Amino acid sequence: MRLLVVEDDVEAAEAMARCLGEEGHECVVASDGDAGFRAAEKGKFDVMVVDRMLPKLDGVSMVQMLRKEGDQTPVLFLSALGEISHRVEGLQAGGDDYLVKPYAIAELVARVAALARRRETGSVQTLLRVGELEMDLIGREVRRGGKEIDLQPREFQLLEFLMRHAGQSVTRTMLLERVWEYHFDPQTNVIDVHISRLRSKIDKGFERPMLQTVRGAGYRLDA
Amino acid sequence: MRLPRLVRTTPFRLTLLFLALFAGAASAFLGYIYIATVGEAARAADAAITREADSLDSTYMSGGFSALNETVIERSSSTRGFLYLVMDDKGEPVSGNIAASPIKQVPATGKPDWASFGLTEKDQTGATVRSPARGMVERLAGGELLFVGTDVGEAQGYVVKIVNALWGAAALVIVLGLAGGVFVARDVSRNMSGLNDVINAVRLGDLGARAKVRGAGDELDELAGGLNDMLDRLERSVGGLRHAGDAIAHDLRSPLTRLRARMEAGLLDAETGRGDPLAALRQALEDADGVLRTFGAVLAIARLEAAAAAPDQSVFDPGQLAAGVAELYEPLSEEKGLDFAAELASGLSLRGNREFVAQAIANLLDNAVKYTPEGGAVMLRARRTAAGDVELSVTDTGPGVPEADRERVVDRFVRLENSRNAPGAGLGLSLVAAVARAHGGRLELDEGPGIVDGKGPGLRAALVLPAA
Repeated sequence: MRLLVVEDDVEAAEAMARCLGEEGHECVVASDGDAGFRAAEKGKFDVMVVDRMLPKLDGVSMVQMLRKEGDQTPVLFLSALGEISHRVEGLQAGGDDYLVKPYAIAELVARVAALARRRETGSVQTLLRVGELEMDLIGREVRRGGKEIDLQPREFQLLEFLMRHAGQSVTRTMLLERVWEYHFDPQTNVIDVHISRLRSKIDKGFERPMLQTVRGAGYRLDA
Repeated sequence: MRLPRLVRTTPFRLTLLFLALFAGAASAFLGYIYIATVGEAARAADAAITREADSLDSTYMSGGFSALNETVIERSSSTRGFLYLVMDDKGEPVSGNIAASPIKQVPATGKPDWASFGLTEKDQTGATVRSPARGMVERLAGGELLFVGTDVGEAQGYVVKIVNALWGAAALVIVLGLAGGVFVARDVSRNMSGLNDVINAVRLGDLGARAKVRGAGDELDELAGGLNDMLDRLERSVGGLRHAGDAIAHDLRSPLTRLRARMEAGLLDAETGRGDPLAALRQALEDADGVLRTFGAVLAIARLEAAAAAPDQSVFDPGQLAAGVAELYEPLSEEKGLDFAAELASGLSLRGNREFVAQAIANLLDNAVKYTPEGGAVMLRARRTAAGDVELSVTDTGPGVPEADRERVVDRFVRLENSRNAPGAGLGLSLVAAVARAHGGRLELDEGPGIVDGKGPGLRAALVLPAA
C-alpha cells in the first residue's frame, strides 16, 4: 500500500514510516499541510495519515480542500485534541477515522489497514464468509462448517466487525469505538472477556482456532 | 489635552448629562408658562382692543368724526383702562389720552396694524415706570386714524418675576449639581479604585486578592461579589491544574523510573548476551502504556475541573446509557464469580456529556468488580431521587471504604493500603467526582449492604446529577 503521512514532528513521522514500512507499506512523508496537499495532488495513495495541527495549512483544512477537489482517499486524523467536538469536527471535514495522541504504533497500523480495506469493499454485503465461518446479515445467523452458532446481539456485532476485518489485527480500542461506540479507556480490559466468550462459541469443538490474540496489538480473525 | 481625571469619570459625565437635560426641561417649562400666561394675556388684550375699536368705529359710522371725538374724550377720562388717540388723515393728534401714536406706521384702509410697545408712565411716587402694552391703529372710512391700546404689563410683570426666580433656581441647581457630581464621582472612584486595586494585584500574579464587599447591596457590591466569585473559580481551577501538575509529576515519576530501569537492564542483557532483552522491551512498552494511560486520565480530570461545565452536552436517557455500560461489564463480573444485577428505571432524562457520564459509570463498575471478592454481588441502579435528581449508583459487597477515608479516596492518586496490589492508578473515583462536579452534581459514598457471612460491609457509590 502507498501511504501519505503528513506530520510536522519529524521524529514521530520517521518512526511511523519505519513501522508502517515493516508492515510492507510504502510511506511518503510531508511535514506541513501545504506540502501534504501538494503531495496528495501528485500521487495516488491508498490511505493518508494526517496530523490535525500542522504548520502553514492545518490538517482539517487540508483534507477539506482535498475532498472539495473530489479526492476520496481514506484519511486517518492524528490529534492531541480528543474531545468529542474535536473528533466530530475531524470526521465532518472528511476524515474517516480519528486517533488521539499518544497512541501505540500497533493501533495506528491496525487502523490504517482497516481504512484501506474499507475502500476495497464498497458494495453492500448481505453474507460475510471467512473460511468455514458464515454470517447472514439479514437472517442474523452465524454458522461454522454448517453448524449453527447462537450469539447474543453484541457478540454478533463483535464477530461482524472481526469478519469484515478478517486477516487484520484489530485493537481493543477499535472494538470499543466501533462495536460499543465508547471513546474512553476502561481501566480493566473488559473487551478481553467479551472476546473469550465469543471465542468459546466459535472455536469450541473445532480443531483449528480462528480467533487469534495478537500480542501487543489485539485480535485477528483468520480463515 | 487631557481632561482632569475627575471630569473624565462616568458619574461626573452623567451629572453633566443630567444638568443638560434639566436645563432643557427647565427651558421648555419656561416657554410653556410664557405662552400660557403672557401669550394668553396678549390675546385677551387684543380681543378687548378689537371690541373697543369696533365700538368706536360704529360711533364714527353713525355720528361721524365729531361724534367719535366726543366719545373718545369721554372715554379717555373714564377708568376703562384703554389708550385712545384720534388723528386726522395726516396723523396729527386730534383727541385722546396719549400725545402720540406708539405705532408710527400708517396703515391702509380697512386693515388695522398691531404692535407691542413699551409704555412710559409716572407712578404715584413720580418715578418713571415702563410697562409693556399692545395696541392697534386703523384708518377710518374718512381717512382719519384711530389708535386704541391697552396696558398688558400686569400679567407679564408677574411672569417676568417667575422666570427670573426660575433662572435663579436653575443657576443654584447647576451649582449644586456640579458639586454633587464631583462628590459622587469622587465617591464612586474611591469605591472603584478598590476593585481596580484587586484587578491590578491579580494582573501582577496575586490570585488571592479579593475585593471588599461593603454590604450596601448595590451594583458595586454585586460587581465586587462577581469579581470575587470569578477569582475564586479561577484560583480553584489554577490550583487544580497546579495540583494536577504536581500529581502527574509525582505519579509518573515512579513508573518512568521503573521504565528506565527496565530498559537499562534490557540493554545490559543484550550487551552481555544473558537474559531476555525482548521480554524487557515488552515490559518496558507495557510500562509506557501505563504511563500514557495515567497521563490521559489526569488530563481528562484536569480539563473537567478547569471547565465551568462539561463540554459537548446533549440530552440523553441515563438508564439506557447505564444499560450499555452494564452490558460491557457483565461478562467481566461473571468471570470473577460475582452476582451482577442492574435495576434501571426508564424515562429518565439527563443533560450532559454522554461520554463522560458513561466513563463515570464504567469507573464505578470497574472499582466494584475489582474490589469485590468472588461470590460477592454488584448492583447497578439508575433511578430518580425524591428530590428529582438522577441517581446512578453501584453497590458492591466488597470491603468498602472506612468512613474516615471516604473523602480522601476521591482525591487523585489516593489508593487505600489494602488495594495497592490491584491494577489502576487511583484516578477512577477522582474522575467520577470531576464528572459529577462538571454536571452540577455530586458523588456520594456510603456503606453497602453491611457485613453478611463475613463479607462486606460493601460500598455504595452514587453519582447524583440534576435531571434535564
